[in-house]
Amino acid sequence: MPVLHVENVRKSYGGSSFALDGVSFSIEKGEFVAIIGPSGAGKSTLLRCINRLIAVTSGTVSVDGTDVTKVSNSGLRILRRTVGMIFQHYNLVNRLTVIENVLHGRLGYKSSLSGTFGLFSHAEKMRAYELLQAVGLSEQIYQRCGQLSGGQKQRVGIARALIQDPTLMLCDEPIASLDPNAAKIVMDTLRDINQRLGITVVANLHQVHAAREYAHRIIGVNAGKVVFDGPPSLLTLEIIQQIYGSEAQDLMLAEGELHA
Amino acid sequence: MTPPTQMSLPRRPFDRSIALMRFIVVLLFVLTLYGFTALETGGVNMADAWSMLADNAATLFFRPALANVTVSELLVSLGVTIGLGFLTTVFGAVIGFGLALASALNIAPVWLSVLVKGFTAIVRAIPTVLWVLIFAVSAGLGSVAAVLGMTFHSAGYLIKAYAESFEDVDAGSIEALRAGGADWWHIVGQVVTPSAMPALISWTFLRFEINFSTAIAMGAAAGAGGIGFDMFMASGFYLNIREMGAFTYAILIFAVIMELIATRLQTRQTHR
Repeated sequence: MPVLHVENVRKSYGGSSFALDGVSFSIEKGEFVAIIGPSGAGKSTLLRCINRLIAVTSGTVSVDGTDVTKVSNSGLRILRRTVGMIFQHYNLVNRLTVIENVLHGRLGYKSSLSGTFGLFSHAEKMRAYELLQAVGLSEQIYQRCGQLSGGQKQRVGIARALIQDPTLMLCDEPIASLDPNAAKIVMDTLRDINQRLGITVVANLHQVHAAREYAHRIIGVNAGKVVFDGPPSLLTLEIIQQIYGSEAQDLMLAEGELHA
Repeated sequence: MTPPTQMSLPRRPFDRSIALMRFIVVLLFVLTLYGFTALETGGVNMADAWSMLADNAATLFFRPALANVTVSELLVSLGVTIGLGFLTTVFGAVIGFGLALASALNIAPVWLSVLVKGFTAIVRAIPTVLWVLIFAVSAGLGSVAAVLGMTFHSAGYLIKAYAESFEDVDAGSIEALRAGGADWWHIVGQVVTPSAMPALISWTFLRFEINFSTAIAMGAAAGAGGIGFDMFMASGFYLNIREMGAFTYAILIFAVIMELIATRLQTRQTHR
């Protein structure tokens, strides 16, 4: 059974055009999949349809065999805690400490009362500390997140997602706001959790070279449709041009500079 | 590079709103000057009146002295007024926090938000003094009416201020917690409140300042007691300007202390 199965998903925000227009694919356990495409292709919408931050207009999405589009509110909470998510802008609470932000990943398991007042068990705090050590932030656990660099913030985001004990990890442009160095650390961390913990990773990436380097499989999206789905080795220049359309020229230039 | 051919700035195009604004300012200035000349002074000699005003102000500020109350009575009165301001701010803050959660658009449903915002707009449109007088109908003129009326308006004010602070909270961090399975209360307790805390504190302090000065006025106007009532007695009953001065200084000292505390709290909140 695939970890994630998306079938004929359409999403419209009203009006006649579709942000997603009949998207279908299946992802097996342990895969590292990159979704690439130009800005506005529907990559972010697609990712958010998987954990129903955005409701689909039609079609089905199932995670571990559960139909996300039909699940009840309490069922949705249970489903969401098995799906970790990290974001381009990290989406941490900057005024809280690093460890408090990591513990937010446990909220899906907490009652309203204990979660609201941040009453976490010793075991949960120890687990948060271990994860922070694993992502190399053991020195910063009591620092406010607002004081961290972008790369550090994204690693806090990863720890927050991992403490959920997810089977699937959604990454929405995880390195788009990072410098090349920090981006490499973040991508290496994602590869590590994919290989060592067996967590399936689905990442929206704007950078083709990162997708090529890290992903087992690449899904190219353009104007809400899947236009490519295959291993990085099949991603030829023509196909990149097909995926990115008019943006391709700029992209090639950037890629050229990177490899030069 | 070619040398500039024209040395003067091009003329700015005519702007109707700026022209209208200038016209209004000039008009108001002319009307004010005319107002002074047309003032009906009755039998008062203006020169004498000005010098008497200066005299009284000097007595008020440079020769303060207590006459009909002792220092401890003054402190008790000040305490009553502070208490009135503090109590109504706390009541207003508690009600304000609850209803602000129901009216911040990023965490409350639209229909509820519209309902609460509409209701609070009406509450705020009616001045505090009027609320006190409205409650005086049932509670009688006095401290009970003052507490109820001031609480009402404080709540209306703080609901709006808190709700706007909540709405400024980063939508991304709310989304991140929702994505991890957090429920509504978790988001309120773990994202919205901690993120909005500096704003909440500064709004509450501002409202306390307002309530303190309203409490002084209410002491006299609504018979709520405290230093306002003492001032009313000193000025209207005993005609003692020097005692008025003492009361004014007592209020001023407290206001300055409060300002210092507020500034300290805010810098601590933003720097942490």
